[in-house]
Amino acid sequence: MEGQRQTMMGNQAITQGALEAGVRVAAGYPGTPSSEIIQNLAGAADEHGLYVEWSINEKVSLEVAAAASLAGLRSLCAMKQNGVNVASDFLLHLAGSGIRAGMVLVHCDDPGALSSVNEGESRHFARMLELPLLEPSDFQEAKDMTKWAFELSEEISNVVMLRSVTRLSHASGGVVPGTIPQAQGKAHFDHHGTLLDKGHGPVSSSPVVYKHRLQQEKLKRAVELFEDSPFNSYTGPEAPELLVITSSICNLYVKEALALLDASGRVGVLKLGTTWPLPPKLLQHNLGRCGQVLVVEEVIPFLEENVKIAAAEMAGEIGAKRFFGKRDGTIPAQGELNPDIVLGALADILNLPYQARPPEYDLLAQEAAPQATQDRDLAFCPGCPHRASFWSLKGALALDARDGFICGDIGCYSLAMRPTGYGMLKTLLAMGSGAGMASGFGQLGRFGMDQPVMAVSGDSTFYHAVIPALINAVHQKSPMSLVVLDNSGTAMTGFQPHPGTEANALGQPVPPVDIEAICRSLGAEVTVCDPFDLEATQAAALALLADQSTAKVLILRQLCALSPQRKGTKPYDVQVDPEKCLGDQCGCNRLCTRVFGCPGLAWEKQSGKARIDEVICAGCGVCASVCPQGAIIKSERA
Amino acid sequence: MITRGPRQLLAEVQQPGLCIGCGSCVELCPYFRSHGGKTVMLHDCDLPEGRCHAWCPKTELDLEGLAQELWDAPYSAQGMGPHLAVVAAKAGPRLEAGSYQAGGTVSALVCAALEQGLVQGAILTGGRGLDTAPTLAQTPEEVTACAGSKFTAAPTLAALNQAQAQGCGPLAVVATPCQSAALAQRRAKPWPQRGAAGPAELVIGLFCNWSLDPQGLARFLAQRVELASIRSMDIPPPPAGVLQVETTDGSLEIPLDEIRDLIPPACAMCPDMTSEWADLSVGMYEGRPGWNTLVVRNEKARTLTEAAVEAGWLVVEEFPVANKEHLVHAAQGKRSRGLGAALAQGLLGVSGEDQPKALRVSPELYQAVESGEVA
Repeated sequence: MEGQRQTMMGNQAITQGALEAGVRVAAGYPGTPSSEIIQNLAGAADEHGLYVEWSINEKVSLEVAAAASLAGLRSLCAMKQNGVNVASDFLLHLAGSGIRAGMVLVHCDDPGALSSVNEGESRHFARMLELPLLEPSDFQEAKDMTKWAFELSEEISNVVMLRSVTRLSHASGGVVPGTIPQAQGKAHFDHHGTLLDKGHGPVSSSPVVYKHRLQQEKLKRAVELFEDSPFNSYTGPEAPELLVITSSICNLYVKEALALLDASGRVGVLKLGTTWPLPPKLLQHNLGRCGQVLVVEEVIPFLEENVKIAAAEMAGEIGAKRFFGKRDGTIPAQGELNPDIVLGALADILNLPYQARPPEYDLLAQEAAPQATQDRDLAFCPGCPHRASFWSLKGALALDARDGFICGDIGCYSLAMRPTGYGMLKTLLAMGSGAGMASGFGQLGRFGMDQPVMAVSGDSTFYHAVIPALINAVHQKSPMSLVVLDNSGTAMTGFQPHPGTEANALGQPVPPVDIEAICRSLGAEVTVCDPFDLEATQAAALALLADQSTAKVLILRQLCALSPQRKGTKPYDVQVDPEKCLGDQCGCNRLCTRVFGCPGLAWEKQSGKARIDEVICAGCGVCASVCPQGAIIKSERA
Repeated sequence: MITRGPRQLLAEVQQPGLCIGCGSCVELCPYFRSHGGKTVMLHDCDLPEGRCHAWCPKTELDLEGLAQELWDAPYSAQGMGPHLAVVAAKAGPRLEAGSYQAGGTVSALVCAALEQGLVQGAILTGGRGLDTAPTLAQTPEEVTACAGSKFTAAPTLAALNQAQAQGCGPLAVVATPCQSAALAQRRAKPWPQRGAAGPAELVIGLFCNWSLDPQGLARFLAQRVELASIRSMDIPPPPAGVLQVETTDGSLEIPLDEIRDLIPPACAMCPDMTSEWADLSVGMYEGRPGWNTLVVRNEKARTLTEAAVEAGWLVVEEFPVANKEHLVHAAQGKRSRGLGAALAQGLLGVSGEDQPKALRVSPELYQAVESGEVA
């Protein structure tokens, strides 16, 4: 639907931009809010002749994309904010060596940590690794900027970073799509030149100082282009009272706030799309407009600090400025922004009486909320194997009675830090860190620590970052147990394939890499169990705890309830026999609804009995094993 | 009779280390389980009142109240609990020779009770060496398979709860004094609301001075012998003062002084040596190997004993007066030490008072303990 305005999700707009730029290879590792980019490109792969893969982790995905670029094909790599940390070692060296065909790294930040356990700032990598940074501020720009990023990348022979945020990636807006070119060009890696020949020689960041100088020279070229970039714009009076400098989705918050305040006549807005390195002439021109500057951006004062450095350097020309932003507390340096926050900041600075909300609003909202919504914590889905797994692990650790604990990491099972997983996770940090930390805790027996330690990891996370940690534990003889919660897919981000699945991102058959075989090959003892078999799982976990002489692995394998294979199917019909249900009496005290806590179970206050919520129940039948009375009856469906 | 809930049970018994692992609270519900000799709570339960608390022998054991309720008599600091007779006993010809330890009186009584139809089964503590295994026995062969003294506390009553839940008929339990006390709690505090769990039809109590913490003993013995090689253990009568450990490679004698640290704190405050709350109590017969002391406490016990003798399961003889005096003296000694320890730890209260207590006695007895008269 070329040329016709359409509603697109931010990540779809980025995909469209990449396709219009003639991207040929794309790789990434799933992570909210970035996942739809690779997913959409995979969907377009057949039609446009692309190769798209979900790589084992972000670093490898960047390496895969870099290979394409070096062989003359435009490539894209996508990841969430902390994925850049994983990829950054390679990115540092790639930035030093440079690339050939256009290569864009799309990194999607998650201010407010809506789907993350951090609100890490990946923008800093641009400054740290000296790569240009682009930040689209709406959906059309997301598409246009992505396309232009490839051109810029080729202009400076280096990776271009393009940063989105959740509210851009996952919101939708109008985009006019352009033409998608025919795929062309044969891949070939030219390596016959000298080491100094970036276009034709072997690829390395060495000789470092020479290539570093080249990199910095090219960056200067980017700055020249940024000076006239249409992605930077000023709107407002020639000589405003206040200059707002903003970027990314915050531009929309600023626009909305100014409209609500009716202050567009007093405030100028410099919207920057090219946020690193900043174009000095453009800045100087706009900073010269007035004496007060407010920088509006999310999380850390990245833009603010860079603007201040530039302002200091040009102080002779523009004079001293009064800055508002995060450094002085006008704008919070954590959490997401919204129009209300920006509005409050503007009203303060402009001395305008404005209340974002009437004072009684909060009170009324608090009164209304309980009637309209249920008080509910984040929870595992009905039929989720993780609930069953943590139920058994909880039982095993309680029986073991040595104050043992579980180190967790990133996946749906991260929720086990909350009541839905019985609060079983006691550490929750980075991908694969449960295993690494358990390997460390396991060594502390020599200092008197007598608590057994377990780690959990998902199947995708196992490949991503657990394998080195497990090798470490085996090799260092750390008495830890790794429990792999294998639900056969990257469930949390939407069932992307991983090295254990039988099809790749393009739906083609690929050889699955067996977790069990990997663990055995490392010398770890391995037990495999179905977590829906509560008794066997608890026994297996207890056995791990009883003999912690070496590193051991327990694989709890059961399909995710939302997996494409399982979704919508109900293995069992489940019912409660009210005659047998003890309810809240001594002997049960609502074990199923009060403790086990599957959303498919409901407590009938009036009758004092449990009930299955037919609509929600996924029919896994685990609650039948939980009920001490045998009052929950599961029968196989025909 | 005061009853509170599982959270209070944790606070009053588990956390201060008073849990002896008798299994009384185990398998009544999905919350309490026994593992490796320890009773653990798997999940939080917030009921204000529960059987776990009501029937625990280590909280709210109102000696005076129980005595009034079950014996229709006051609890006395003197003697060794109510009894009709004390006799010397040993297994009769019906019990296969060599299948039991010491006199075999317990096995003989259980076999007789099964044969009489008094009970459908008996909850015994089977297992070998360190591995105690509470077991439901329903035939003489199953009974003798469990024979042999165990010196670590075992969750015997968990097996009772399981058997009752499965609908077994009337059951006998071979119980230590603490387990006998737990069973007395059940008789005095019935739980009419639901469930098959409740008292035992017949309680055969054992004499006990103290037990050993199972995990502690396992760690202690693991440094001296191969644990799997342990066949049996025995503490011969004084003045031996040793724990004999029979292994497949020979025997080992460990001075009792070396294992006293492994006695759980709950044993120190126990006032009962002879299982006063049982129907019959059986212990060793000092100075007469191959025989037991048998205390017949009530009519049911007398009927069973007579039937057991008649059927050839049991042989009884007169018990010398001097030996009985010695037994009473020992029982009084443990009672006074136990009550004194409970008082010192703030665990002794007076019947009917509000503050949670492990043990309660009449105001008179409390005063006597406080003033050192019971010593």
